[in-house]
Amino acid sequence: MINRILRLGLIFILLILLQVLLFNNIQFSGYVNPYIYILFILLLPVEIPTWLLLIISFLTGFTIDIVSGTIGMHTSATVLAGFVRPYVLRITSPRDGYEPGADPSMMIYGFRWFLIYASIIVFIHHIALFYLEVFRLADFFRTLLRAILSSVFSVSFIALLEYIRKGK
Amino acid sequence: MRNLLNFLAKYNHLIVFLVLEGIALYMLGTANNYHNTRIVKGIRGLTAGFEKRVSNARSYFHLREISQSLSRENASLKTTIERLTQKDDHLFFSVADTIRHQHYTYTSAEVVNNSVNRQKNFFTINKGKMQGMSVDMAVISGDCVAGVVVGCSNNYSVAMSLLNLDFRLSARLKSNGYFGSLSWDGKDYRHAILSEIPQHVTFGIGDTIETTSYSAVFPEGIVIGTVSDFEKSGGDFYTIKVKLANDFRKLRFVSVVGNLMREEQLELEKQFQ
Repeated sequence: MINRILRLGLIFILLILLQVLLFNNIQFSGYVNPYIYILFILLLPVEIPTWLLLIISFLTGFTIDIVSGTIGMHTSATVLAGFVRPYVLRITSPRDGYEPGADPSMMIYGFRWFLIYASIIVFIHHIALFYLEVFRLADFFRTLLRAILSSVFSVSFIALLEYIRKGK
Repeated sequence: MRNLLNFLAKYNHLIVFLVLEGIALYMLGTANNYHNTRIVKGIRGLTAGFEKRVSNARSYFHLREISQSLSRENASLKTTIERLTQKDDHLFFSVADTIRHQHYTYTSAEVVNNSVNRQKNFFTINKGKMQGMSVDMAVISGDCVAGVVVGCSNNYSVAMSLLNLDFRLSARLKSNGYFGSLSWDGKDYRHAILSEIPQHVTFGIGDTIETTSYSAVFPEGIVIGTVSDFEKSGGDFYTIKVKLANDFRKLRFVSVVGNLMREEQLELEKQFQ
């Protein structure tokens, strides 16, 4: 149990550093900003209580907000992602359910399952994030395109990271 | 109570979610200039649109009162024009005479000091020589007699109030034109005395008393008040108690009236005395 918390803490720190030092500096033609820190929310244990999940989401988003100077933006989007996670888990549950005590990771449930699970949550997170960022409906479709493109990149990077972790 | 607890237990994650999301959005709105501005702008636009509708509806319901007040204003403006233009009853006049039509000048002023409880009351207005005031100009308040200027400094003037034992004014009954002398008896700031109206004249309580232009101070037809009581005094005259139209306790905005032809009139009259 302690071991698991420590490992999640390590993942948290690594993802925040990756996000802030590397991915925040990536901008393809103003349309694509990948946000991979959301992987941390994806990797939390299946049986975690919803209130704890929400508070962890809040703190994760808040950390990103503080280091990137966008108070409240990532927090709102990440809390929303944390809120929809239990429903997404229920929709995408494998035929024989989730193993008790296991992380929802690619290692255990396979690439295809992880891709669907990650895509839904990342997409919801990005939609919320990008619309909160522009905060107007004037450029509705442009913002939608940005959210979709960024989601594609984020999911790719998340899958890559998960693949590396699996190989480790 | 149990239902409430059940409800809370059932929706606990929804409540936690709403609380946290609320905090996050609140931070978003307050900590970021851009978002804050957008929100304030949006709310202002919303309330402005709503208020515009409400005030539209309200002004529609008030149309009646508005039109009444407009017509009242119209009437008073018309009388002002009437007073300012002299009747054209002579055929020849100098083309270069630019003030031919103008008999009186009007200057607005504000009362800065006033009294009503002495026997000789004066009030002070905030216009003086620099603003064209001079002695013997008339002071009226809302088309009613207030007093006469008796002294000017550069920026202030002192006027003798109608409520002064030394104040004398030529006044007449509007209904039939008989004139008498108006003065104050020093008793009550709401009433003055009109004397020297002959006893054969008929009039009633409520008749209007107005100024004549005999003194060359007040324009003709400025309201003084209404008849509130009268009695026979001595042999041939009435003593009429006049209820003043002005409330001298509330005197605030006044107009000072200058007679541009006063000098001419007095000079001519002097030759025959």
